[in-house]
Amino acid sequence: MMKPVATTRSAAGISTGMLAVWWLLASEIVIFGGLLASYIMHRLAHPEWAEYASHTNTWIGTLNTFVLLSSSLSAVLAHHAAEKGDGKKAAKYLLVTIGGALTFLVVKSIEWSIEIHHGYTITANGFWAFYYVAAGIHASHVIVGAIVMGWVAWYANQNRELQRVEMVGVYWHFVDIVWIFLFPLLYIAK
Amino acid sequence: MSDHAHSHGGSEGHEGHGEEHAHHGPEHYVRIWVILLVLLAISVLGPMLEIQVITLVTAFGIAVVKAFLVCKYFMHLDVQPKYVLYFLTVALAFMLLFFFAVAPDVMNHEGQNWTNVAAQEHIARALAEQGHGAAGEAGDFDAAGVFATTCGPCHGAGGAGDGAAAAALNPRPANFTDPAFWADSSRTHEHILTVIRDGGPAAGRSPLMAAFGAQFDEAQLEALARFVESLNPNAQ
Ligand code: HEC
Repeated sequence: MMKPVATTRSAAGISTGMLAVWWLLASEIVIFGGLLASYIMHRLAHPEWAEYASHTNTWIGTLNTFVLLSSSLSAVLAHHAAEKGDGKKAAKYLLVTIGGALTFLVVKSIEWSIEIHHGYTITANGFWAFYYVAAGIHASHVIVGAIVMGWVAWYANQNRELQRVEMVGVYWHFVDIVWIFLFPLLYIAK
Repeated sequence: MSDHAHSHGGSEGHEGHGEEHAHHGPEHYVRIWVILLVLLAISVLGPMLEIQVITLVTAFGIAVVKAFLVCKYFMHLDVQPKYVLYFLTVALAFMLLFFFAVAPDVMNHEGQNWTNVAAQEHIARALAEQGHGAAGEAGDFDAAGVFATTCGPCHGAGGAGDGAAAAALNPRPANFTDPAFWADSSRTHEHILTVIRDGGPAAGRSPLMAAFGAQFDEAQLEALARFVESLNPNAQ
């Protein structure tokens, strides 16, 4: 069977697929970075936002940070198992990571339901607009990550395409890092 | 290339590193995870002291440390070919360029030749709604001073209709020091008070004249109206 170029060719010191993931992350830095930079500018220039921000729930945010940090651990353990050539174990760890992603999304939707119920909607004011857009774009990355991990786990379970475990893992750690910055910006600085 | 999920680019200076990395076992990753959780706890507890410096350090300083740990030990960024780090840094630099190029405009609501009246008003109104606006005791309320700062951007500090933003407004704010303005008999004390408290539309004027009822209490509104009326040259 022909293997895709992305997994077989290595013109740049790392596989082309891995290189593509790094490029993807570079573009993500600009997307999330621009969004967060805009948020910080407005947050600093609008003293009234402090009051709006005080209504976010620090404990729910902390819980979700814990979930994502832990899912990063299982992602790197999947990578470790894949390096050892143990596809079955890698698939298992990926499933744990997907479980983390789903937990994160469930917590997030409960959190949002409560907030929307209290009238903190995306149109309430500038702070809540940023809150939903930033966390929403992040959550869409969590969803995409979970889907791709499911697909990679399916192959890994048959000991195929194990190099993809690291690729999806690196993407997942990035999603984790974005949240590491969103957390203090949206939940802690009050 | 082998199916080996990890490949160490040929960056010479990092051979030792790569070796060391290859020996990392699961315990090593668990240890990093525990450190991350301890940092998380600190970043939540630190700001509870409500000391600003500690909040900044624990919330944002720790975020940077956590991101570094994840990059180095989970993403293995340090054993990738050097250029990966370079182009990620370039992306980061573009983000900072964006911030520092735009921030001076976005974060200042006043410059040498311009005033962002809409933003200033928005902030004043929002703060007033939250109950810590300019409202104080009417006794030590400085109507002329408040007029100069709050109304001045449009009306001019002296009420002559020559504020920094006046030229951009249509209709332009009137010149309160012009007797012709007061010659209009509809401009009673009640009318002036209503305009200031409830905004232009409440008294058949333009919505560009905002309502200040949320920002000042009744006595202060009264003082502002009296001040505006005192600008009438024929008032004395
Ligand atoms: C955003 C700019 C702006 C600010 C700030 C502002 N005004 Fe005005 N104001 C206007 C404009 C524009 C008009 C003219 C409305 C019209 O002619 O329809 C006006 C009209 C008025 C009038 C005359 C209404 C009339 O009968 O023609 C009074 C009195 C007045 N403003 C008082 C104040 C006071 C007092 C403040 C501060 C507490 C203030 N304004 C702040 C823009 C502003």
